[in-house]
Amino acid sequence: MTPVLILALLTGAILFGVGIYGALSQTNLVMIMMGVELILAGALVNLVAFWRFLHPEVYAGQMFVLVVMTVMAVEMAVGFGVAIARFRAKGSVEMEEAGDLQG
Amino acid sequence: MTVAIVLLTLLVGAWLLAVIEAWLTTGRLRPVAPLLAGLSHLGRESILARKPDRLFFETAPVLLLVVAVLGAAVLPLTPDLVIADLATGALFLNAVLAYVLVSLIMAGWGPNGAYAMIGGWRFLGQLIAYSMLIVMPITATAMRAESLLNSVIVESQAGLWNIVYQPLGFVLFFIAAMALAFRSPFDLPTAPGELAGGVDAEYTGVRLTVLRLARLVMLITLSAATTVFFLGGWQGPLLPPWAWSLIKTLAVAVSMLLVGYYLPRIREADLLGWCWKFGIPLALLNILIVGLLILVVP
Amino acid sequence: MVAQAFFVGVFGLAAIGFGVAVFRTASMVRSALALLFSQAAVGCMFLAMQAEFLGVLQIMMMATEMSIMAIFMVMFMMDPGGLGGMDMSHQKRFSIGAGAIAATTAISVALFSDWGPIFAEAPDAAMQTRELGFEMLDRSMLIFETAAITILTAMIAATAVAIPVRQPGVDTGKLDKENGDKEQEASK
Repeated sequence: MTPVLILALLTGAILFGVGIYGALSQTNLVMIMMGVELILAGALVNLVAFWRFLHPEVYAGQMFVLVVMTVMAVEMAVGFGVAIARFRAKGSVEMEEAGDLQG
Repeated sequence: MTVAIVLLTLLVGAWLLAVIEAWLTTGRLRPVAPLLAGLSHLGRESILARKPDRLFFETAPVLLLVVAVLGAAVLPLTPDLVIADLATGALFLNAVLAYVLVSLIMAGWGPNGAYAMIGGWRFLGQLIAYSMLIVMPITATAMRAESLLNSVIVESQAGLWNIVYQPLGFVLFFIAAMALAFRSPFDLPTAPGELAGGVDAEYTGVRLTVLRLARLVMLITLSAATTVFFLGGWQGPLLPPWAWSLIKTLAVAVSMLLVGYYLPRIREADLLGWCWKFGIPLALLNILIVGLLILVVP
Repeated sequence: MVAQAFFVGVFGLAAIGFGVAVFRTASMVRSALALLFSQAAVGCMFLAMQAEFLGVLQIMMMATEMSIMAIFMVMFMMDPGGLGGMDMSHQKRFSIGAGAIAATTAISVALFSDWGPIFAEAPDAAMQTRELGFEMLDRSMLIFETAAITILTAMIAATAVAIPVRQPGVDTGKLDKENGDKEQEASK
């Protein structure tokens, strides 16, 4: 069958799972962002695998990968901006201490 | 075979530059001194700091050396003498050079020392200053060649070298390359006399030898990159291609050492300010000018 | 084909291994650099899948991104060196369950779908770079420009959020005070 495609998709799936675990279990904002980065990395693996093995002639697939990379960079920038603001206001970016965000 | 030749060239080049550097600073020409110094380091005790991050401490010098050699692997010294002429060679060089930062952060964090750590994080700030000035001039050369293949970039300069075609890009790349190799006016992460050696401070013995060698090899790699992107690579009259590559690379390396010898060390805040306020607009202007030239001049 | 499967598998395992290491080490710099090597391994997977431009781009971008992440970790964590061995996690069982369910779902989709015909040959690397360039500046130009504007917006938003709020009457340091004086003069 299609062993390489399946291998890549399995890797993407497991990276996604690890990322979900990290984003949910960590208490620090920066660590949560790391989890999100892993989730996006899993998505990237899948996108490249789909482009390579299913539609190598459609370059919009590669374009999609570039857009996801942009999303990663944007997420980092805005996340760090929020982290700095939060740290300046409250002295920590721990999620356990962020009960005041609870509407 | 090609790999062996390139590695040997890098080693000999590193030795030559060490001799020249010592000649510049001490005024005495001693060709054996670098070899003796290297050998004596091998015999010395390798001191380990208390509670180090052992993994980073050991990896950092090796990573720096690997990065420098990998960067040299995509640069064509003659039409045939290139380890891998990748289809994305110019981008690959950028990708590899980004790991210099990773190596220095490891070297700064690993030994658990204050000076080393300040040096390592300083280089992160330095990266924010120089990285755009590495990428944008290379982009302009790739625009002229209409290819990311380094050999095609060299061949595109057959009529006119890029140093004449885009002098602005050359100046910016030259400065940024010195900042990337943390040579003298930009040696903020090591900063002898101010940081007590910075990232070098905790390294002794074999590890220090590897670190010094890696710095020299990186200087050669960056000089070769300047040659390939702006000085027409192996091209030139009379002499064979390898001789031209060698002469140009050495000339760039020695000019970098000379500039470093005569200029005082720059402040980190000044470096960041100048690079962002003047360097990046100038680099964008360079891209614009080159684009217009490509469109207007057939 | 066998070589490709081998390299995709090896780099995939490396990516997963480093990805797990991110959440298992107490040292924050180690954690950030483990994420970096995980992402670099993903880039190597791209190279193994013959997407050369994307692979090199991924390897390049992540080096800088994750190093910056490392310094933010050191800035914002109580115990960046990890020498105290603090536990920085909560709701562990729920998270493990959620991660496992997500991974299992994705795996079963990967295994039980009919993926249709597979292309054995990819276009060569130089061709890919060229075609991607045409795609970017031709059919997908609007998307490309939207991405650029998004980055610009994010830069402005992040800077705006991160700059300290200047309160009248509070001396927040010499530089701020000078700026404040200048602004007051300008408003007069």
